[in-house]
Amino acid sequence: MNTPAPAPGSDQPTLLSLRGICKSYAAPVLTDVDFDLHSGQVHALVGANGAGKSTLSRIVSGLTPGDGGAMTLGGQPYAPGGKAEAEAAGVQMVMQELNLVPTLTVAENIHMGHLPSRFGWVRRSVMNAQAREALTAAGLGDVDPSAPVSTLGVGQQQMVEIAATLRRSCRVLILDEPTAALTDPQIDLLFEQIAMLKQRGVGIIYISHRMDEIFRIADRITILRDGRVITAQPTGELTMDVIIRHMAGRDPVEATDMGERTPGAVKLRVEHLSRGKAVRDVSFELRGGEIVGLAGLVGSGRTETLRAIIGADRPDAGCVYRNDSSTPVKIRQPRDAVRAGIAMIPEDRKQDGLLLSQPVRANTTLATMGAVSTAGWICSGDERRAASRFNDIVELRGAGIEQNADELSGGNQQKVVIARWLMRDSEVMLFDEPTRGIDVAAKWTVYRELADLAGRGKAVLVVSSDLRELMAICDRMLVMSAGRIAGEFTRGQWTYDDIMAAAFSNYLNRKS
Amino acid sequence: MFESRIGRNLWHSRPRLCENQLQHSRGRLCHMLIMLIVALTLIGCGDRSSKPAADNDNPTIALIMKSLANEFFSTMADGARDHQKAHADEYSLIVNGIKDERDLAQQMSIVEQMIAQQVDAIVIAPADSKALAPVLKRALEAGVVVVNIDNKLDDGVLEQSGIDIPFVGPDNRDGARKAGEHLAKTLKPGDEVAILEGVPTAFNGQQRRAGFEDALKAAELKIVAVQSGQWEMAKANSVAAAMLSEHPNLKAIAASNDSMALGAAAAIKAAGREGQVKVVGFDNISAVQQMIKDGKILATVDQHGDQLAVYGIEQALAMLKGQAAADDRQTPTDLITAESIK
Amino acid sequence: MGELRPSRRAAIQRMAAEYAGMTLVLAALVGLFSAMSDHFFTTATFSTLANRAADLTVIAVGMTFVLVVAGIDLSVGSVLALGGSVLGVAMAQWGWPMPAAAALCIVTGLAAGAVNGAITVAWAIPSFIVTLGMLEIARGGAYLVANERTQYIGDAIAGIGAPLAGIGVSPAFMIALAVVIIGQIVLTRTVFGRYMIAIGTNEQVVRLSGIDPRPIKAIVFMICGGLAGLGAVFQTSRLGAADPNAGIGLELSAIAAVVIGGTSLMGGRGSVINTFFGVLIIAVLEAGLNQLGVQEPAKRLITGAVIVVAVVADVYRQKLTRARS
Repeated sequence: MNTPAPAPGSDQPTLLSLRGICKSYAAPVLTDVDFDLHSGQVHALVGANGAGKSTLSRIVSGLTPGDGGAMTLGGQPYAPGGKAEAEAAGVQMVMQELNLVPTLTVAENIHMGHLPSRFGWVRRSVMNAQAREALTAAGLGDVDPSAPVSTLGVGQQQMVEIAATLRRSCRVLILDEPTAALTDPQIDLLFEQIAMLKQRGVGIIYISHRMDEIFRIADRITILRDGRVITAQPTGELTMDVIIRHMAGRDPVEATDMGERTPGAVKLRVEHLSRGKAVRDVSFELRGGEIVGLAGLVGSGRTETLRAIIGADRPDAGCVYRNDSSTPVKIRQPRDAVRAGIAMIPEDRKQDGLLLSQPVRANTTLATMGAVSTAGWICSGDERRAASRFNDIVELRGAGIEQNADELSGGNQQKVVIARWLMRDSEVMLFDEPTRGIDVAAKWTVYRELADLAGRGKAVLVVSSDLRELMAICDRMLVMSAGRIAGEFTRGQWTYDDIMAAAFSNYLNRKS
Repeated sequence: MFESRIGRNLWHSRPRLCENQLQHSRGRLCHMLIMLIVALTLIGCGDRSSKPAADNDNPTIALIMKSLANEFFSTMADGARDHQKAHADEYSLIVNGIKDERDLAQQMSIVEQMIAQQVDAIVIAPADSKALAPVLKRALEAGVVVVNIDNKLDDGVLEQSGIDIPFVGPDNRDGARKAGEHLAKTLKPGDEVAILEGVPTAFNGQQRRAGFEDALKAAELKIVAVQSGQWEMAKANSVAAAMLSEHPNLKAIAASNDSMALGAAAAIKAAGREGQVKVVGFDNISAVQQMIKDGKILATVDQHGDQLAVYGIEQALAMLKGQAAADDRQTPTDLITAESIK
Repeated sequence: MGELRPSRRAAIQRMAAEYAGMTLVLAALVGLFSAMSDHFFTTATFSTLANRAADLTVIAVGMTFVLVVAGIDLSVGSVLALGGSVLGVAMAQWGWPMPAAAALCIVTGLAAGAVNGAITVAWAIPSFIVTLGMLEIARGGAYLVANERTQYIGDAIAGIGAPLAGIGVSPAFMIALAVVIIGQIVLTRTVFGRYMIAIGTNEQVVRLSGIDPRPIKAIVFMICGGLAGLGAVFQTSRLGAADPNAGIGLELSAIAAVVIGGTSLMGGRGSVINTFFGVLIIAVLEAGLNQLGVQEPAKRLITGAVIVVAVVADVYRQKLTRARS
């Protein structure tokens, strides 16, 4: 089924060349990255979460400026000032997230930005005819160009987006996880498209977790780790094991031990939890006094699992038990979970965690208003004392309880959310990416916080995309892969390679 | 990314789409509403009038009112319905009203709807003295007999559009003059008086104001303020309250309708000047009769609202039979005072 | 920096800054009208002004609550007309005593608000649309109940709307003042008020914090409807008659008053006291322009301009207080 590629590799002219690309946000994300893409080549970019793949593609597609280094495109210096400039130069990117307007028709989406028009009137017939051509080329001949995008399935939407991108003049095409929502036949169609583009001399940067796909279509693989290029080799010279070892690194930093803990009684038991395709038959236990990590690739269903446990999204099936009870907790909405002593600290603090325009005090006491009020009246003295006390426990520094939450640093914001649940005295705390977007020093205080919670006998579950962080702080690790629990490890028995292998396990072949 | 999505939404065709849909659905909604109103009206008319345009023997007359929520017009409509019941073998009746007295567009579309329904005659109380002329011209051209009641169409505009529509109704100026003269009798020359006028663009409002002014000036009273109460009670109340504060020697308020007279009376009471400031109104609505008996309102003018539409209908029937020319016809106005109510 | 625990003094200063702007605008308007009219700066003017402001005041308090939870209630004017019609019919036709009829009127408002709230939360429909529907429904109900007639009641209802001898303000105004104070206390000092602000700030956070926002929102809409009913009692009492056409456009006056008071249309921020200032600004403006005999077009232009200017000024006030803290 593989089309014989026209001798991809260095004998073809170099299309895109990156030299010494650097980028830092709070910490360096990309360091001194070199990357070459030849005409008619599929060059895969692989690496663990946070290795810098997405940042690199954002720099190439003009979405983010690099801090240092130089790029050339077709031999000419290339420094796009924005996505539009990059597109004008022939660099197109299909994003991981859908970028379509659901209420507009397929044809309108495909022509977005350059609708065929005369005197300001859209020429619908021309537009639909051109769209039909593009759709047929993408194997979507049965899709009606005048149907609103929202009536299509997610996979078809993804293909429409690809079709829209392919219509534009294209020298370099960046595909970031393009197959996440596609069915197998659609993937085959996509790969046929890629083969055609290769023949036309287009260079393709292909980002995916799915190793089977990479081995199927990539001519060359570049492995990133911690923002550095570890190796760049033709696909034939690499094996799965080697790639995973490279992604993991030869010497994973051994866990900085966060103190000896002895797990106590079971605090939370999850059985056969399922929700759509994101969460499939997930079962596990959490004990008091232990920190359990929930590892997995982005999109493997970790956040969805947490949301299903606390009832933020209604699960399709499965039960949640507290302690050793044999009757499940009835959770229809987060209120029920909170009453049962289960709290979730969401990943997006600004969107889901904090009342940004409200003071720290109000944010701290939000879940426990009953304790600082009598018969519905807030006792402001009690409230201030409680807010101060719990923010002292989490060592909120450099901020007062009357300061608004949006004025705090990321680390302090996280502390305020933890203080809220400490005050509520929740027995089970589910953390989603607690250290995302906060600086290294603040990360350490969050680690101490987690250890402290476990020390108080709480059951703590931590979702993180930073595997080494989990290895440092957890007593036990669950690994999710494509919505399922793909492995469980206890401290001392795990290696980075094993965990990574488990995380990839359900992506290796499509049968899962 | 989210932002860029929104941006795209705004600058591409989505707004246009939305607008189209909105207009479309709004148009349909209006249409449905009109049909509903028509249907309800028919139900209200009783069975004999329930087959309007279809019946070829009897003419169908459409009565198009201003707001049916206004007591004055609903009384008028009731009078017309009673008349139709008594003369069911002579004509059928369709009664329509608009939601808001100033909703011209709706009244125009009702006229168009009636033309489309091929009624024989339209009897209309126009929401505006000028704006309705073109659509009524279309009605005439479609062979519909048009009679103007309540609010006289502007002569200049009628002349301009080259049409002739008879006005059947009271002389508002004369009626207001009667109320003004009755008021003047209780005052002495030089006393301060104020006028609460209706919507300044309405012809009957202008006529009533002019009638009040005729009488008050003739009695050498001092008109210290003329402001619009927009025909509404609450609005008139607040304007009257301000007049009372501003003019401590105010002796009387002449209001162009009874709703405004009620609002003015309430303001006088709130200011503690009951008995010191007199009020006259216009229309003789039921709520005002008690006030007149109690002496809180001095007088109002009855223009026989329940008969106004009937006069118009009779004129239309006469014209349909070829018995009458398209001439104006004046209907009576009577002064109502505490004596006349007893 | 350390702990910035606010002293009582700082709180008082903050409060002064909060209300200073409003007081200034109000004083400027009063000064302006007093200079332009000989009879504006009199107790009579202020007494009628206060008595007339009672209905708008209570309705604006309800509107403040609804806006704080990031909703909107467009139906208050119609609900006022419906409540007033019920009140008018109960007294004029059924011969009910005033307290019973007033209670029925308020219950009518509560019921309309409860329907608004229930539909809004049960189907997660924007309150803009639900209350737009209620705007029509309640108006139709008012016409139906009153049989499209103005209901004349007379002295039987004058009790609460009439100014009391000696102090010059009506019981209605004093009740309205009490509603303002209670409203402010509920908003700032009770758990319910805290939840309202939290819901308006970010409903998702509230939900994830284990609080069900739906009953709270529903109750807020009910309160707003009930206050519209109370406003109907006040207005009917003041006018001595119930008009099914009453309150057309009242929702816009109420929203204007609330927004002039600095309450955010996006929710999460609001002050009932400042809303009261907004009501006073609108009432003074209306009374002053009427008293000067300004004609309708100019009145509307000036009123519109004052609303916009007041809101722009509020944006600057917030920037200043933000910069200070």
